[in-house]
Amino acid sequence: MVLGWANSVGEFFYLAAKSLQFAFTPPVRFKDIIKQTEFVAVQSAPIVVFCVCFAAVVVVIEASFHMRIVIQNDSLVPGFASLLILRELGVVVACLLVTSRVGAGLAAEVSSMQITEQVDALRLLGIHPIKFLVVPRLIACVVGCVLLTVIANIVCLYGAMLVTQHKMGFGPANFLSAMKAFVSFQDLVFAMIKGAVFGAIIPIVSCFFGFRCKAGAEGVGTATTNAVVTASVLIIFADFILSFLFSSLY
Amino acid sequence: MSAYMPKSILLFLEELGRTMQFAGLVFRTGVANKVPMHLVFEQIWKVFVQSLSTTALAGFFVGGIMTVQFTLQVKQFGALGYLGGLSTSGTFREVGPLLIAFMLSGKVGAYTSAELGTMKVTEQIDAIRCLGANPILELILPRFIGIIVASFFLLFVGLMMSVGGGLLMGIIFSGIQVEEYLRHIPTIVSIPSIFGGLFKCLVFSILIALVCTYMGYSTTGGAKGVGRAVVKTAMITMVGIVLSDWATSMIFDSILTLVMEA
Repeated sequence: MVLGWANSVGEFFYLAAKSLQFAFTPPVRFKDIIKQTEFVAVQSAPIVVFCVCFAAVVVVIEASFHMRIVIQNDSLVPGFASLLILRELGVVVACLLVTSRVGAGLAAEVSSMQITEQVDALRLLGIHPIKFLVVPRLIACVVGCVLLTVIANIVCLYGAMLVTQHKMGFGPANFLSAMKAFVSFQDLVFAMIKGAVFGAIIPIVSCFFGFRCKAGAEGVGTATTNAVVTASVLIIFADFILSFLFSSLY
Repeated sequence: MSAYMPKSILLFLEELGRTMQFAGLVFRTGVANKVPMHLVFEQIWKVFVQSLSTTALAGFFVGGIMTVQFTLQVKQFGALGYLGGLSTSGTFREVGPLLIAFMLSGKVGAYTSAELGTMKVTEQIDAIRCLGANPILELILPRFIGIIVASFFLLFVGLMMSVGGGLLMGIIFSGIQVEEYLRHIPTIVSIPSIFGGLFKCLVFSILIALVCTYMGYSTTGGAKGVGRAVVKTAMITMVGIVLSDWATSMIFDSILTLVMEA
């Protein structure tokens, strides 16, 4: 059991290393990358925007609850809300949504190719399946997640601004000046780095489980489930590590 | 009326109506018949064991993340003493239930809809009906109750792990003592907060159970259809969780305001 586990970890790192290597070797398949980016970024954008609007409301409500306990008033809510949104919430919510949509889709796609022997056919034709299947999706997911992170952060901050104005009477000017005191541009840059890392995790995990898929309809379902769960846990883990690393740079 | 509406909205409303009808059917079946308890317990156990490691791991790291972030915030005000209370309260009220629900929707929701979908497209559900048994009673209801009950246990485990993770990061990262971290937890985490978290968990688990059983039960179109059902389940539960998170937060906030004014 331990051996099997170590074997799969090794396979995962092999896949990750190979796809990173191929991502930087010349023949760039622009057409595929553009198509995949459309699937990842454009088609996920409405859902991400919709969800972070509601997440913004929740953040403001929760921040106000805790502020009332600790300092008895709401005066610091705009600053703390924008801090929480830019550092954690925007990127994590956006990327978890992308995981469940794109990750599940990718895993289902690759595993049905695997069980209908299309991957073996690629290999027979002398095309490396990692180069052909994984690399365009990897580049598309990294680009898409960075873009979605920026969009999610902007929309979420707008939402929080509206809610604080409506519920607590802070105008946009108040909100923006509080935001300026609490966060800086480097927070957005760190969020984008996080987005890029999460975006790399999603396709590699999905394709890993897709390639290992066992035959049958049940295999596809299992591969999809495993891909989504593993990617979500890895994203949270990576978030933990990156928050820890970035915290020494503030 | 329908001429003025885009087709996608009509389709959405239709699907929503079918889901509600399905929920009514499951509820009526559960009330009218004797629920097969051994199947329910089997499902509770299965769901719990399946998701235990994932939930515990995620809970631990979320506790750590919350502590790191709150440290950066409260340090500017010299309020490190409040750190333990704040990060624990934030996890209990909001992040914990949300995260457990995300994990469950990925793990249990997708698994259940794939399982039921495979049964549907291979006509096993029709076979059960042919044998004179009620598939809603035998298949859907145990999963429905199992997911809801097991998610409470999972929430408990996840929250305990998050306190542990937060405490560890508090010691390593923020450099505060164990007593100092634990001292403000009882003063900030109040009973209504815990009930709020539990209520959120209940709403999320009902949502997951309903969506995944409905999607699995109404799968058509072979192996591809199963894949489609799984992806749809993951998507709908995620959006639904964020929406109902907003709704429950709003409701609790207005109740709290009313109580404070009274």
